[in-house]
Order: sequence, then structure tokens, then C-alpha cells
Amino acid sequence: MHLFLLIGLVAFSIMAVLSRDLLKSAISLAVASIFLALVFFHLGAVYAGVFELSVVAGLITVLFITAIALTRNDGEVAESKRHRIVFPLFFLALAVLDILVMRKLLGQIPAIQGAGSGTFSQVLWNQRTFDLVGQVGAIFAGVLAVLALFRHDSPKGDSHE
Amino acid sequence: MNNLWILNMGFVALLIGIGLYCLLAMKNTVKLLIGVEIIAKGVTLALVASGYARDNLMLAQAMVITVIVIDVAVIATALALIISINRHTKSLDVSKLTQLKG
Repeated sequence: MHLFLLIGLVAFSIMAVLSRDLLKSAISLAVASIFLALVFFHLGAVYAGVFELSVVAGLITVLFITAIALTRNDGEVAESKRHRIVFPLFFLALAVLDILVMRKLLGQIPAIQGAGSGTFSQVLWNQRTFDLVGQVGAIFAGVLAVLALFRHDSPKGDSHE
Repeated sequence: MNNLWILNMGFVALLIGIGLYCLLAMKNTVKLLIGVEIIAKGVTLALVASGYARDNLMLAQAMVITVIVIDVAVIATALALIISINRHTKSLDVSKLTQLKG
């Protein structure tokens, strides 16, 4: 089950990269996010799964589709046709290398028992408080950047250069 | 449990490889962002898989949420930048962005 979910995740990621239509790419990315969320649920990471499903598969896909719709007329970019040949070769080489390295590692890494760290809310609010400050800062910076980029110039043309 | 971690890490390497290929080979700016997104997926999978293997899933999830929130801010800013550039150049081709070229 876990293996099938991981294969689905990689397959839809490849579709997102290779698809010629940007809309299909964005939707493939959303499906890959759904597979990743299912992997998280399967591993017991419920909060991360819910976040992945709602924010990445939902919000980021909406952002992508909005951007694609706004740039639809100019969206055609002639990608090289060599990707059809180069990407499978690259992926095959990567997969073979990956399998060789991971087979070598099999049984080599000792299992380390971590200390149980309490409930999710204790970890998030007590241990990782500084991360939350950073998150607020990142969201604020993102909002300011989007506002600055979509700012309309004043009619007199006296905006700062 | 350790073998499951190695299996997950194998797929993490594949995801990061696919994302890097996308960043290096594609010319469409939206596709480049999709590459960044795929790399972020690999990173979040690595965090959760490591948390699961070390029996410290709560800390891993807290860090995944941080990664996702920062990822959203980055993607929103980058897409706004792409739309803004598109209004000037009427193209999404990254090879046409040569105005700052010395």
C-alpha cells in the first residue's frame, strides 16, 4: 500500500514536469499532493496530512491555476523536444543509482529510538514557538510582496523609481 | 521501521532529482515553480519519514507545517512576480528575460 502511494506520488510529479499544457501540470501537481497527504496519513502524521491536503493541494493549486489563467495568452513556451528522450534516460540513471545506494544502506543504519515528545500542540506551541514567529513573518512578507507587485502606478506617473 | 525509512528516502531522492531536472531543463517560468514545489514535497516527505523512524512524529509534523507555510509565501510571491513580468514581456519564457544582462 505504502509503496503504491509513493509510486503514484512520483508518477504524478513526472506528469507535472513533462505535460505540455500548464493546466494539466498544475492538476497533476495537485494529485501528487493528494498522494503525499495519503502517505502522511499512512505514516500516522495526521496534522501534516491535513495541511498538505488543504494548503498544498488546495490553496497552491488555486494560486497556480489563477496565474495560468492570467497569463493564458502568452503561456505557450516552446520547450525542447529533447526532453522526451533525455528525461527517461535521466530518470532511469537516477533510479538505478538510487536503488544501488539504498540497497547498500539496507541494514547498515542502526535504529535510533527518539524520546516521545508529547502531544502535537505541546510541541508546536511550546518547543517550536520561534518557528511560529518565523511563519508569521514569512506570511507578512509574502503579503507585502504581492501588494507591492500589484500596486497600481499613480495617474500622474510620479511613482518612486 | 528502518527499512521503511530507507524506502521513503529512496523516493525522496527521486522527487528531488525530478524537481532539479525541471529547474535545470525547463524554460517556462511556471514549470520552474512546479519544480520548486516537487522539491518541497521531497523535503516534507523526508521530514515525516525521519520523524516516523525516530518515533518523534509530532516534532516532524511541526516542522512540516513550517515548511508548508513558507512554501505558500514563496509560491505566492513568485507567481505574482511571474504575472508582473508577463505584463511587461508578454512571455513566460525564462530565456527572454535578458534586460538585466550585462
